[in-house]
Amino acid sequence: MSAQDVVLEARGVTRSFGAEVAVEDLDLTVRAGEVHALVGLNGAGKTTLMRLLLGMLRCDSGTTCLRDGDAGLVDVRRLRPPAWASVGHLVETPFTYAELTVLETVRCAARLHGLTAAEAGPASQQIIGALALDHWSGRRTGTLSLGNRQRVGLASAMVHRPGLLVLDEPSNALDPAGVLVVRREILDAAGRGAAVLVSSHHLDEVARIADRITVLHRGQVVGTLPPDGADLERAFFAMVYGAEADGHLELPGDPAGPRRT
Amino acid sequence: MRAALAVETLKLRRATAPRVAGLAVVLGVPTVTTGFIAAAEAAPTSQLALKVAPMLVGEGWEAQLAMVGQILSVAMLLSAGVVAAWVYGREHVDGTIGGLYAVPVRRREVAVAKAVVLVAWGVLVLLATLAVSLAAGAALGHGGLDDAATVALGRAVLVGLLTVLLALPVGTAAHLLRGYLPGIGVLLAVVVVTQVVTVAGAGAWFPYAAPGMWAGMGGPELAEAVLPVQLALPAPVALGGVLLAAGWSERAEVR
Repeated sequence: MSAQDVVLEARGVTRSFGAEVAVEDLDLTVRAGEVHALVGLNGAGKTTLMRLLLGMLRCDSGTTCLRDGDAGLVDVRRLRPPAWASVGHLVETPFTYAELTVLETVRCAARLHGLTAAEAGPASQQIIGALALDHWSGRRTGTLSLGNRQRVGLASAMVHRPGLLVLDEPSNALDPAGVLVVRREILDAAGRGAAVLVSSHHLDEVARIADRITVLHRGQVVGTLPPDGADLERAFFAMVYGAEADGHLELPGDPAGPRRT
Repeated sequence: MRAALAVETLKLRRATAPRVAGLAVVLGVPTVTTGFIAAAEAAPTSQLALKVAPMLVGEGWEAQLAMVGQILSVAMLLSAGVVAAWVYGREHVDGTIGGLYAVPVRRREVAVAKAVVLVAWGVLVLLATLAVSLAAGAALGHGGLDDAATVALGRAVLVGLLTVLLALPVGTAAHLLRGYLPGIGVLLAVVVVTQVVTVAGAGAWFPYAAPGMWAGMGGPELAEAVLPVQLALPAPVALGGVLLAAGWSERAEVR
């Protein structure tokens, strides 16, 4: 991997909300053709970091950069608007409007991502099929289950076949079949050269798709996990406990623990 | 801009809120107008007739269309204001605002597109309201439109248009306050302040009061006292609102 492969980068990024430091002096890269996973407890700073990378929030210090063709890595606050056409994202809330059908919603997303009216129709049909949403294509999104709204949100993020995907908990609310479909789409995207940054709580899911796993805790990178390593959960908690000043963190007990020993 | 317009047009066409708010004006204004006049004529000494009397100008077509203009000045502001608050505020409430970031369509284009489709919606509602009012007048046997009626019709058109423009800053308020309910709160405050300012005697210089006064809400004498410059104030107010919404869209963070 070379520096030329880096599509998205955070350099010494810090962001606070009042007294709460959400992300602190954080460095991160996402390279073309790789799936880079962020894991961490709730409130670790994953969503804030993604929002900073996408220009939805401003950094207190440091910069977040996106590759813009020959111009190289450019601060997202100064990025030319057309450069965003290569980005697809789903951060927190799926891009769905209750009054629009699934097809209309995805077409709207396609237009906002830079596709023409003529391109938006076929592209929307294609991604709706890929995410197994054909049956609901004519249904208003407001009538869909949470899981299917999540799929629509993913379709909206992927409809323009972006070169960079930023997905916050993409398997949220999905049934096992949906998880498989999304996993396939993420791996397909990376396979055709897209850079993918994905956050998840599910370590086993992350292990199946990620090339790199970065652990976030209290807004900082506390280490990396090997995707093919054994017992990721144990390694993850060891890393998180280790990051605490006194090595102690209040966590609920593991009900499955006794049976595993 | 074309993409933003296409998306915003589709959202407005499909949504329930603009449909209900539009129908309330299209059917409500002619019904209230016809009902007020009929009640006043049937029982001239009734409480309702005494309240309606200051709003009545002339008779027949002129009376009806003049009152349409007056009621439009309030009804259209409330209706278009609610829709404007919803159009801008719902992105924050529904969480879809994040989807408008990190895309090649600039957020200021989306903000302007929202204003454009709101004005188009308002014009359609206005035209439909006037069509229903004219149909009601014809059914009542008013006959042909004379010069006074034509003037009253023109005045109703202008009042309706100005009021639609005045609703745009309500959308800006909803956008800046990140929700349609705060926007509707601002709308209600504007209506109250308009009444207070009008009673205080400075009405015509308050942009939200000028169209209603010119329509005759304060009687014929106050209507004639409204200056063209006062009547033109809603245009810069609307433009300022849209520019503020557009500029803020570019700077605002997602929460």
